[in-house]
Amino acid sequence: MSQQEGFEPRILGFLCNWCSYAGADLAGVSRFQYPTNLRVIRVMCSGRVDPTLVLEAFMRGIDGVMVLGCHPGDCHYISGNYYTERRIITLQKFLEIIGVRQDRLFLDWVSAGEGERFANLVRDFTEKIMKIGPLSNDLPPYQLQARLLAARDALSQQRMRWLVNREKELWDEGNVFGEKVDQDEFNKVKFEALVREYEKNRILHSISDKAQSVKEIAKATDMTPREVLRNLIVMEQSGLVTVSGIDGVSPKYRRLGG
Amino acid sequence: MEEARVGVFVCRCGTNIGGFLDVPALVEYAKGLPNVVYSKENLYTCSEAGLTEIRQAIAEQKLNRVIVASCTPRTHEPLFRNTCKEAGLNPYLFEFVNIRDQCSWVHMQETKKATEKAKDLIRMGVARARLLEPQEEIEVEVAPSALVIGGGIAGMTCALSLADRGFEVTLVEREKKLGGLLKDLYKLYPTQGDAVELIGAKIREIEKNRNIEVLTSATVKEIKGFFGNYDVTVKQGEKDFPFRAGVVVIATGAEEFKPVGMYGYEGKNVVTQLELERMLKENKFNANNVVMIQCVGARNEGRNYCSRVCCMTALNNAMIILERNPKAQVFTLYRDMQTYGFYEDLYRKAREKGIIFVKYSPERPPAVDEGVVKVFDEFLGEELRLPYNLVVLSTPMVAHPDSKELAQMLKVPVDEYGFFLEAHVKLRPLDFATDGVYLCGSAHWPSTVSESIAQAYGAASRASIPMSRRHVVAEPIVSVVDQEKCIGCGLCEMICPFKAIRVEETPKGRIARTITASCKGCGVCGASCPQRAITMRHFKDEQMLAEVVVLAEGK
Amino acid sequence: MEAKGSKPVMVIGGGIAGLQAAIDLGDMGIKVHLIESKPSIGGRMAQLDKTFPTNDCSICILSPKMAECYRHPNITLHTYSEIKEVSGKMGDFSVKVLKKARFVKEKECIGCGDCAAKCPVRVLDEFDMELRRRGAVYLYFLQALPMVMTIDRDNCLYLTRGVCRICEKVCTRQAIDFEQKDTEIDLDVGGIIVATGFDPFNPIGLSEYGYKRYRNVVTALEYERLICASGPTGGHLLRPSDRKPAEKIAFIQCVGSRDVKNNSYCSAVCCMHVTKEAILAREHDPKTQSYVFYMDMRAVGKGFQRYITRGEEEYRIKYIRGRVAKITEDLEGNPIIWYEKTIGPTTEKMKVDLAVLATSFVPRRGTEELAKILGVELDEYGFFKTEPYAPFNSTREGIFVCGCCREPVDIPDSVAQASGAAAKAAEIVTGGYS
Repeated sequence: MSQQEGFEPRILGFLCNWCSYAGADLAGVSRFQYPTNLRVIRVMCSGRVDPTLVLEAFMRGIDGVMVLGCHPGDCHYISGNYYTERRIITLQKFLEIIGVRQDRLFLDWVSAGEGERFANLVRDFTEKIMKIGPLSNDLPPYQLQARLLAARDALSQQRMRWLVNREKELWDEGNVFGEKVDQDEFNKVKFEALVREYEKNRILHSISDKAQSVKEIAKATDMTPREVLRNLIVMEQSGLVTVSGIDGVSPKYRRLGG
Repeated sequence: MEEARVGVFVCRCGTNIGGFLDVPALVEYAKGLPNVVYSKENLYTCSEAGLTEIRQAIAEQKLNRVIVASCTPRTHEPLFRNTCKEAGLNPYLFEFVNIRDQCSWVHMQETKKATEKAKDLIRMGVARARLLEPQEEIEVEVAPSALVIGGGIAGMTCALSLADRGFEVTLVEREKKLGGLLKDLYKLYPTQGDAVELIGAKIREIEKNRNIEVLTSATVKEIKGFFGNYDVTVKQGEKDFPFRAGVVVIATGAEEFKPVGMYGYEGKNVVTQLELERMLKENKFNANNVVMIQCVGARNEGRNYCSRVCCMTALNNAMIILERNPKAQVFTLYRDMQTYGFYEDLYRKAREKGIIFVKYSPERPPAVDEGVVKVFDEFLGEELRLPYNLVVLSTPMVAHPDSKELAQMLKVPVDEYGFFLEAHVKLRPLDFATDGVYLCGSAHWPSTVSESIAQAYGAASRASIPMSRRHVVAEPIVSVVDQEKCIGCGLCEMICPFKAIRVEETPKGRIARTITASCKGCGVCGASCPQRAITMRHFKDEQMLAEVVVLAEGK
Repeated sequence: MEAKGSKPVMVIGGGIAGLQAAIDLGDMGIKVHLIESKPSIGGRMAQLDKTFPTNDCSICILSPKMAECYRHPNITLHTYSEIKEVSGKMGDFSVKVLKKARFVKEKECIGCGDCAAKCPVRVLDEFDMELRRRGAVYLYFLQALPMVMTIDRDNCLYLTRGVCRICEKVCTRQAIDFEQKDTEIDLDVGGIIVATGFDPFNPIGLSEYGYKRYRNVVTALEYERLICASGPTGGHLLRPSDRKPAEKIAFIQCVGSRDVKNNSYCSAVCCMHVTKEAILAREHDPKTQSYVFYMDMRAVGKGFQRYITRGEEEYRIKYIRGRVAKITEDLEGNPIIWYEKTIGPTTEKMKVDLAVLATSFVPRRGTEELAKILGVELDEYGFFKTEPYAPFNSTREGIFVCGCCREPVDIPDSVAQASGAAAKAAEIVTGGYS
């Protein structure tokens, strides 16, 4: 994708107070220059960053998000950055799945002494976003919004939050039976569950105003009718949707409850 | 809550900001933001003049939110927070916007864009400030009494130091007598002082001290409560002793590893250093061909650490042997001679006294046969056959097998070898991540007598801090649980590194509750909670979202 | 035990030990006067890149402690100051402190550096181990606290020759004040803690190593500045003679230590810090190969043995047991290490890009004078003398010693000792001392 004329990337950074924010300050003290596109939100620990907040940023048109924490082992709060790592890596893969370039979400570790490195990271990321273009390049606007919204709702769901935040312990220490969980297996299960949640939310959003048939839902969500039906069956069983009306020979589904 | 009245102070910082950003434009821009009722520039907001202007504006303009856009919160946030406090405004209604270290100083060639960036940052700051809430610093009372677990040299030294400062100390020792490992030692390096005399003197001091209650043949049965208010139950025989402690010090020491099945160890002709010292003490020693083997059961796959004290111990005992019997032959088989620091002199003396050193490699360890030790000397490149009537094995100090149990009771971690794991290996060696519990002596890591004493004083200092103030003040950036949303799943309790949030039984069911005294405000729980029932004071989800929203909105 | 109304405690030295002792005492409610001879607190730890065995960035873990000390309501910082006289007794000392003039108004200066950028003088910078030059007006290091400039009176053109004053002209805060005078203040304290730290041994007397003769033979502290991101080469291991990246490095242990002709003791931390330095080199550039020439590998602390194993296995450090007899240089400035491998034994030589001497820790320059002023004795090595089973007691009641000015120790031990000395001092000033 060639660089678009006059495109100024909008980049948001979450920096942790003790390491990356301090590193950014050091870049300033040392006068290491970098592009002006970055806007920073300070958090006490990178572990404060909820992946849904990152999705909110993308939903509103931010082209690139940087999450910078302390180097593993150096976290001021001992282990916060390990959770950051698991969440953001999961989110990166998830973005790719829903059609957003995963390199729009950047995760790295910057210590309080790495002023020059911070400046370099910001410069490199800004240039990368300039090259790949604005977020709207990845998907048409309606699709973008709908997908990001469903992704956000999927990651807000309690089961997903539980899975993602237990990852670290399950991999390192094992479950209550002392069995260490195989990482590849876990990832497979996690992403399957995540995609299922995501598809469920896509469907729910598309029928939020009025009842739709399988064909209509498939068209609106860009999913195959088969995928839609498979989800609807499960959702009907769990009481999330119900049949409400007919369109020719196809049943229409609407949301149940809130 | 009342409508926000925001005051924005844009600092020029001399020319550091003023020379690059269009400060008047920033002031004008701020005026146009929602809820901003006052906006002005200062040459140096952090100067007395600047601070006075803030104070005046708060009073005259009835400001209830103050924003300073200048350097970095990491330098002056406390200063400006204090200034607000002095003017009667809650210090947590102050917000800092970084337009120097992360703006003017790093975009010196792009001043127009940098000014636009500063506008965005100020807009984000105002959006956040509108949603800020007053916070009160949290005071937690601390009982001026300490529980010291372990009555060895470390535990006793710590107890005495605390007692001498006027704190009440309960010293719990599980053996019948106080004294720990030192009771079994003979002469101490480097002074050749008598171990039993040293420990006897300490015990006498303990017995004289009115602030120390000693419970021997006793163990800690249960510890409930939290930092500042531990409810301790000590079990002594059939009786239970409950009491309250503000802080806990772990001084439970370590023990000598017994090399069962190694090098022909049987406790008679092949003994450990501790057993040798007992022989020397009780005058049961009469060997004249002694071979000492270092690193037995240490610095290997299963126990990859050096136990720090064994080389000095071995050399000290070797020299005692030579003093008793100048005709004796003592060989020391070693891998590296760990006589560090000033203990190097012991090594020099030992060589001068005629102790013979043989270096062996872990790939070809010595073999203890009937009456003779076979060892491949790395320097000579030959196998030696050393006749002996006593082999002394230098084995490492290892953690007590029940250290893990105590660790779980106190909610502190142990490392892979069972030694207690401190908060930070470099800068907080005597603290735990969990507040209110401290550590000293060989329970932390094998240490010499001198080092145990030093650490004991150190732990006493650390433990005395919360007790001296009678209370601790916690920064109010703590987690808050929405009791209606919480379902008591316990994820937060599992992941909190400070054990500062716990699920408790309540009439409404199991619900998580923040231990505000221990919460450090990292927010990991807030971002993990499956029910989204936890948020962080001063870093609430809504506040962060507001920043994202106004940033994306643009002008 | 209330600390209100108790006498303050003086801490001499603003390195990690001094800072920890001051913070502990301050947190107990006791007032502290912290005297630091350099323009900024921080000590040796501020000069290090990373610390073993965690490889934490040194300044990252140090600066929160510096900031805590700087802002602490109970601690009064006296930087660029020296002890002139001590009288009195335990519980009641009277100390004369000389506050040297910086010729900069501390309240006005914000450390922006405009003056330093224009100063025409060029002198060797002490903090960067003389690997670069600074002006006569300078900031001791980038994260200095207090963050104010200092004018070096021995090299300032105006103060020595009456000309220039450019700094005064460019300062927008009128913070330069050539009229400033040294002042003396009297402080009454109940106890004194000495935490003055160490100097690296100067190996110039060991001519066999060629220090200062060959440009690519450096000391360990100089190496730390080279590999440090905020150092004179931006953290790139460029050797002094030609700025070529150093890919083959020799580390020589026990330079001046375990040596009856110089310092007979062992400096306790060099085996560890050299392993760290070799690891950092390799992390920076995977092509680096390091060789450590040692006598005994001393890794006695928590996690230390593991660290050495990691160094060997993950970072491929080659540990060679042997003594280096001499270092020479070839025509390209490459040091040649002539050594004897004790296991053999064989004598060999090795060409490297850079040779790093792990020099002994010695008491700071000025220790003898300070000891005289304090009225305490030094031990046979020149460190402050203490008793083995009363490890912080100096030979004068009420004066305590901790950290490297007592004996060479690593950072965790310095910190633990500092807290210990604080406990001892607290016993005196809050009463109940027995």
